[in-house]
Amino acid sequence: MDKLTREEVLHVAHLARISLTEEEIEKFRGELKILMDDIDKIKEIKDFDEEMMYTPVDGNARLREDEIGDMLSAKDATINAPKKNGSFIEVPVMINE
Amino acid sequence: MSEFTPTIGIEVHVEVKSKSKLFSNSANSYGMATNTSVNVIDLGYPGTLPTINKEIIRQGIRTAHILNCDITRRMHFDRKNYFYPDNPKNYQITQNRTPIGRNGYVEIEVDGTKKKIEIEELHIEEDTCKSAHRGSVSLLDFNRAGVPLIEIVTKPCIKNGKEAMAYLTKLKELLFYANISDCKMEEGSMRCEPNISISKDDSFGTKVEVKNVSSIHSVGLAIDYEIKRQEEMLNNGETIKEETRRFDDKQGKTILMRVKETGNDYRYFIEPDIPYLELTDDFINESLNALPLLPDELRKKYTNLGLSSLQIEKLINNRSLNTYFLGLLDYKTNYVTAVNLLLSDIASYLNKHNRLILETKLSYEKLVKVIESLESKELSNKNVKDLIDSLMETDKSIEELKKEFNIENITDDSFIKEVVTKVIENNTDSVNDYKNGHDRALKYLMGQVMKETKGAVNPKKANDILIEALNK
Repeated sequence: MDKLTREEVLHVAHLARISLTEEEIEKFRGELKILMDDIDKIKEIKDFDEEMMYTPVDGNARLREDEIGDMLSAKDATINAPKKNGSFIEVPVMINE
Repeated sequence: MSEFTPTIGIEVHVEVKSKSKLFSNSANSYGMATNTSVNVIDLGYPGTLPTINKEIIRQGIRTAHILNCDITRRMHFDRKNYFYPDNPKNYQITQNRTPIGRNGYVEIEVDGTKKKIEIEELHIEEDTCKSAHRGSVSLLDFNRAGVPLIEIVTKPCIKNGKEAMAYLTKLKELLFYANISDCKMEEGSMRCEPNISISKDDSFGTKVEVKNVSSIHSVGLAIDYEIKRQEEMLNNGETIKEETRRFDDKQGKTILMRVKETGNDYRYFIEPDIPYLELTDDFINESLNALPLLPDELRKKYTNLGLSSLQIEKLINNRSLNTYFLGLLDYKTNYVTAVNLLLSDIASYLNKHNRLILETKLSYEKLVKVIESLESKELSNKNVKDLIDSLMETDKSIEELKKEFNIENITDDSFIKEVVTKVIENNTDSVNDYKNGHDRALKYLMGQVMKETKGAVNPKKANDILIEALNK
């Protein structure tokens, strides 16, 4: 069976910010290849256009009036954060982009 | 003359004015308490769905129009995927393939030469949360998450820092006047990122991007610094790397932030949670109806009214005074005098009290009356200066104020002559000094006349009468 290269799997893992063990890399080389082949099959559709897959709904997007609605308190807004610092959500330091 | 040709493009992000955010109805406002202008959509909770704010689409249409862009009629949004704590959905909703505006331009003038800075495209997208870095941690405030942004991208057609500054100044003026953004670089509501490359021939050199530039002036400095730095590197046989740098105001130079190792892989795809958006002619026209007169239109209009270019620029620089002045045009009066008053006594009153003209009691009728009184010499400029607080703060008429401040009919020459005679009689020493050629004595005597009349006379006229009397 065809497999993705080790580098391809690591690239996807990096984009998803997950680390993989050697065992997992091997496993995903096969599994991701199956996924990729399925996607390629879709691309074989005659006159394939990504927009065809975009929305099952006809008609225009509905626009919302510019009005302010209910908002959360700082306490509720941060309630699921693993770490807080006052009203802020605290995360490991980000390299500032 | 350098053998290299610089090529510069600029990306500008502005925060768009609206009540609510782009895809959620929490407040789009600056300066609220941390994490209080937030709802579950801004926080990227599973199961939530974005809805488009109508006003932002209108603002996008207006921006496209004032930047002379083609307006896209049928558009969709796209997901830009990346993992970063500033965006818990792990994607930003933006417009990648169908930006709301394309192929526009902004006309600038540098050293007397006009040039069109071409706009490649402008698109609508959401802002990320704001992060502050404290040692080993970063602190996140989601008030900014979902705030509407418009990104404006020029073609690589800018040649130097001067052109860049002229473009940004013009862009800022347009967006500010059209009420699209308040464009405060210090608060981050306008962010400019120039990219610079240099080359000896028609091919483009390696692009260096500069971020975190704090003012339009600094953008100019950063660009000119970067051109010089790249020239020196190439002359020394070094290679320029594709990198992101920041500008340090104090050192006046750009500093490396990071090298771009690989192309970004954002895996854009069409945002499936928002259907297509098709703009009708009616919707576009309605949106454009709300546009006020823009600076270049104002310049033409004011020139026709006889205002000087200095007055015009000062007026345009002060949007609230300008708005007030536009209302005054419904009245027949001397507009040059009106602008003089607005830019002098009235502006200094407003600055001193930190108020806007529309918050004061200076009605158009009252201002017209003041101008009439100035022209008929019933009031002097000095009178207006003295009366300014009352004019701005009370409903009293000019007649009432003249009585209250004891302002006499100053056009009456005989009254002035009377005062002059009295002053000459009471100050014989100074009169002698004047006759002996001491010019300062005249100033003193003039001061006495103004004191006697409590400043209620036309100084020029009083001065003439005084000199005439002294020379008798």
